[in-house]
Amino acid sequence: MTDDPYLASLDLPRTNGELTFDEPWQARALGAGVIALRELGVGPVEWRDALAEAIDRHGHDPDEDPATAYYTAWLDALERIVATRTSA
Amino acid sequence: MHDHDHDHHDHDHDGHHHPRPASEQELRTRALEAVLVEKGIVTSDAIDAIIDRYVNDVGPQNGARVVARAWSDPAYRDRLLEDGTAAIAELGFAGEEGHTMVVVENTPEIHNMIVCTLCSCYPWPVLGLPPTWYKSAPYRARVVAEPRAVLNEFGVELPDAMEIRVWDSTAEVRYLVLPMRPAGTDGLGEDDLAALVTRDSMIGTGLPLAPATA
Repeated sequence: MTDDPYLASLDLPRTNGELTFDEPWQARALGAGVIALRELGVGPVEWRDALAEAIDRHGHDPDEDPATAYYTAWLDALERIVATRTSA
Repeated sequence: MHDHDHDHHDHDHDGHHHPRPASEQELRTRALEAVLVEKGIVTSDAIDAIIDRYVNDVGPQNGARVVARAWSDPAYRDRLLEDGTAAIAELGFAGEEGHTMVVVENTPEIHNMIVCTLCSCYPWPVLGLPPTWYKSAPYRARVVAEPRAVLNEFGVELPDAMEIRVWDSTAEVRYLVLPMRPAGTDGLGEDDLAALVTRDSMIGTGLPLAPATA
């Protein structure tokens, strides 16, 4: 996992070192993001910042599954970046 | 028992179905993927490949542990065939899409295969995310009409006398194949046995590895 520049610097939800997902869409959103960010020329640092903002916007609910919270923010950030980069 | 039964299907019309309505995030993920594919930015196959590379580790090993336990412990095997959901939960594997798990056992007389003919229902808590071919229209159509030909394309040749049963996953019921324990594995423990259990052997499109090739 650490060999991908988009993922290396991120704190992805893990259990015992393994990536964890609460539902299949989360893995799908991760996979789509890894490819789309590279294709759209979004750098790892820009992505990390966009994701951090989305996590802030999402807020913290102690009752929410951590993977669901994380990938909901991931999806939000990805939607925004894709909308910006593909509308020009 | 029916080899192939649609009576209990509860499909909606976009080609997906779930025990509960799709979550908002799931719909958004699907929509985003569709946009990215349409714009030529990603392909669904490429996403599958990423998931295979990074993510699928969470999947087939769970099923492999279930199979290895069943091979090692006859009482567990009996419980697994009696109530797959409960026996799989004993090992800690459960999830939204593993609601009712039915385990079908391969024998010298019967080979089982699983499919979801209308979409891509799949027991992901035990097998991870479905491979692309499982979701493809040709597999879904052909495995029912000509399972032996499909098996041959996966490199599996079975004796003519062996009956092939195809189980169609539904919104309520997901199947898992319990393959036959390979010969020459009498001395192996569960970890070594689990290493022989491939994803495809639990879908029925493959057989477990022989101990020498694992």
